[in-house]
Amino acid sequence: MSGPLIVGVLVAAGVFLLLRPGQLRLVLGFVLLGHAVNVLLLAAGGLHRREPPVDGGGAESADPLPQAFILTAIVITFGITVYLLRLLRRASRRGSRRPETWDRGPR
Amino acid sequence: MILAVVLGGQFLLAAAAPVLTWWLGRNAGYVLAVGYLTGAGLLLSQRPALLADQAVLISWPWLPSLGVYAELRMDALSLIFALLVLGVGAFVMAYCPRYLSPDSRHTRVYVTMTLFAGAMLGLVLADDLLLLFVFWELSSILSFVLIGQDGRLPARGPAIQALVVTTTGGVALLVAVVVLAASLGTSDLHLILADPGRLATGPAWAAGALVIFAAITKSAQVPFHFWLPGAMVALTPVSAYLHAATLVKAGIYLLMRFSALFGGQWPWDLTLIGLGLLTAIVGALLALRQHDLKALLAYSTVSQLGLLVSVIGVGTPASDAAAILYTIAHALFKATLFMLVGIIDRQAGSRDIRALTGLWRAMPITVTLTVLAAMSLAGLPPTIGFVGKEAIFEALVTVDEVPLLGWVAAGLAVLAATLTFAYAARLVHGVLSGPTRQRELHEPAWSFLAPAAVAAVLATALGPTVALLSPMVERAASDARPQGQAPYLAFWHGFTPALGLSVLTVLLGTLLFWYRRRTDPVLAAIPTTSPFTGHLERWRRALVRFGAVVARPAQVTAPAPYLARPLLAVVALAAVAVLLLGPLPSRHPDATRPGDWLVLGLLLVTLAGLVTTRSALAAVALTGAVGLILAVWFLTTGAPDVALTLMLVEVLTTVVVMLALRGRPGRLVAPGRRVGIIAGVGLAVLAGVVATAATAALTGRRDLSPVGDWYLREASSATGGQNLVNTILVDFRALDTLGEAVVLAVVAVGLIGLARPAEAVRHRPGAVRHAVDPVLALAYRVLAPVMLAASAVLFLRGHQELGGGFIAALLAGTAVGLGHLAHPAGAPLLGRLRGAPLLTVGLFLALVAGMAPLAVGRAFLTPVKLSLPGVGSVSSALLFDLGVYLMVLALVVAAVRRLDSAPAGPAPGPVRERVR
Repeated sequence: MSGPLIVGVLVAAGVFLLLRPGQLRLVLGFVLLGHAVNVLLLAAGGLHRREPPVDGGGAESADPLPQAFILTAIVITFGITVYLLRLLRRASRRGSRRPETWDRGPR
Repeated sequence: MILAVVLGGQFLLAAAAPVLTWWLGRNAGYVLAVGYLTGAGLLLSQRPALLADQAVLISWPWLPSLGVYAELRMDALSLIFALLVLGVGAFVMAYCPRYLSPDSRHTRVYVTMTLFAGAMLGLVLADDLLLLFVFWELSSILSFVLIGQDGRLPARGPAIQALVVTTTGGVALLVAVVVLAASLGTSDLHLILADPGRLATGPAWAAGALVIFAAITKSAQVPFHFWLPGAMVALTPVSAYLHAATLVKAGIYLLMRFSALFGGQWPWDLTLIGLGLLTAIVGALLALRQHDLKALLAYSTVSQLGLLVSVIGVGTPASDAAAILYTIAHALFKATLFMLVGIIDRQAGSRDIRALTGLWRAMPITVTLTVLAAMSLAGLPPTIGFVGKEAIFEALVTVDEVPLLGWVAAGLAVLAATLTFAYAARLVHGVLSGPTRQRELHEPAWSFLAPAAVAAVLATALGPTVALLSPMVERAASDARPQGQAPYLAFWHGFTPALGLSVLTVLLGTLLFWYRRRTDPVLAAIPTTSPFTGHLERWRRALVRFGAVVARPAQVTAPAPYLARPLLAVVALAAVAVLLLGPLPSRHPDATRPGDWLVLGLLLVTLAGLVTTRSALAAVALTGAVGLILAVWFLTTGAPDVALTLMLVEVLTTVVVMLALRGRPGRLVAPGRRVGIIAGVGLAVLAGVVATAATAALTGRRDLSPVGDWYLREASSATGGQNLVNTILVDFRALDTLGEAVVLAVVAVGLIGLARPAEAVRHRPGAVRHAVDPVLALAYRVLAPVMLAASAVLFLRGHQELGGGFIAALLAGTAVGLGHLAHPAGAPLLGRLRGAPLLTVGLFLALVAGMAPLAVGRAFLTPVKLSLPGVGSVSSALLFDLGVYLMVLALVVAAVRRLDSAPAGPAPGPVRERVR
């Protein structure tokens, strides 16, 4: 049950951050949701085989396919996070005259 | 084949129109006219086959699974309508260049009109109900565009009104199509029409009523007649083409086509006769009270279309022939009249009949042509209008559904024709009588007049020579309804009852015109607007308001209320799943290891800190910690590549967020009201529970997947790589990887494109620059070479051991980030990297690696071994991985460079301007 619980706590924390005011929390919540999905993918491959999938790894080798998915997913999450940061900063610049309101919720 | 050529050619012409207008300006119309005529000529070349009752066909599969074929079929009826579309189109296209102002290219007018001609052509040639419907809707939409052409405010209302009315009819047609296709099992129009007896009574009534509804909205019959005069805000060539000659004839075509199916049944026949005659009289009455020539012609069109509809309802061979002949006649003389009114409007600056007295002295040719066309409208010999009206009278007299109905119908038609004669007389009287008010008027250039002149002469000359049209019209009448030979069309029929009615019409019309001073007050009392006009507008406004109400919850600016709804939907979905989920296989017992609980505990503590902290720095650091904890866990689950990638991404994310935070307040926004917090906690817990339950239910309940098993056994020998995750990325699922790399590229491009203002801030003269941080600079100087070397090693060995393009690029990116932190103004060496070139080269390399196998006959992205002297054999997958490496690096470089905040301090005015 460890895999499902890890997914659960990450989702709960991510959702809570998304629903709070403030743009930085939004971005961080998004990152946590990304983690949750990655763990879900890994769990889908099965957590009972835990040897690295290299050639000749034997009967305990993990399924390599979810790992390949997660690997690209991580990098794409990074890309989206960066883009989100950029968009939010742009929005905050448009919405406000004072730079110090950057972390206020968008109006 | 010829049908596809002509129809395709029409759309090609539309595509070529922008080039033509760019080259020739408004004179592009002449070239387009030649194009239209060529199409008409090609279609006309099929005449012998059509007269021998051989339809021209072309068909290709469209939705084969539904048995829908895109089928074009041309019989004589289709040919006549197609020739009207292309022929009148050619006149109007040749008229446009002199009508349109010289100061603009009018690309939009030409493109839309040509597209519209294509849609009409498709409509009359379509032999599949769905195809017919598609072209029907297309013509409605293009009509909307043409009415509202330049987006002027006064044109918007009528354009929307026309669209609402005609598309309502379109919906009816769609339902009719569905009813017919569902009850007959085919959407092939020809098959459906060939055997009317197959249709059961119920569907027949429904489909018949819907078809009538569609036709009367399009052809502006009472009570939907109001949209057509409204549409007169369009340019005059548009009015001439769409709202006199073609678009409104689509309804007529539809009724004629479906006559084979529904004709001869009394509800169909009597509805058409009744509605048609009512419209003919109402339209003519309204036309009689107009002073604006264009409005007069619009109501006249409504009236004439009514006459056509009523004749279609009669349903004898003679009546079908009469309807077809009068369709031709009306298209010719009404388009002519519109063109002439446009000329008068341009020359005299007015369309008001009262301001145009004595025009004939200044513009004798224009006025002569107007008189000729008006004679056709009034049904006077020797014009085609006369022959057509005679044929209509003759057909109406034969109506025999109810005793004496024929004479009632003919009497009503005479009434409509009398009114028509009277308003035609007013038109002629207006331009002939009285003093010439504008003495400096003169004839327009012959090139302006020529299209209208040719059309006017044609409309007149076709009267005595109507026998030329006879074979085709007879053929078309029996195509519409195969029920025997239509009578031969002739100019002179002898002394028939119809001639008597014609004479009566002229006498009564003259009287009506003579006593116009007495009739005018009566006419002025008739309301112009249909009761529907107001209702329609009110419904439309109500609909728009309703839309605003529906959209309001989605238009909040804060994310929380917006995101709450999809989250609630997920929870609801899970509740449904719980109810529907059947028994599950048992969970794998060995899936949880003792270390996992430690990881879970660490995560809980870290997350608890993250959700409660008010410090931005702490929040970012704790998020990074979550990533690192997960990376460690990934390591224990046998995913070292993932763990390494995640670790590097966490470092980079932290760097990027810190860069973005630089110079910003360190405190997060206050958590807000207590209610909001409680709701947030509730929703978060629900979401967490759902996620846990779903993961538990749907994962960990089976052994290794077959595809995973295959990779474990075969991947290494198939690719020569030992690191199976990497072989999946670059060998087996390279297309996925390419797609993902392109996503990154798009993000990088977005960053580069969005971030101009930040650049502007950075290079603002006098901006405070961050000083070089000596500690970080030292670290950069020492660590960067090591990181780059490690990156190279990770990259090169990626196929065999831990590593690969993604990981290696992230490590190099970390060095870039470190460099930027140490030297904000640009680190030595790595600070010179730019996102765009890296991106370009990376994408290029990946594509080359993908394309190279094509040269040796292998599929896209198939890895091929290349033997290099001195190095040994190298897989082309390495080149692909290098492309991925460069694209990921490009993203990091773009992120680091573009996300760095401007130095602290108030942003001055000019920069803010640019941001906007």
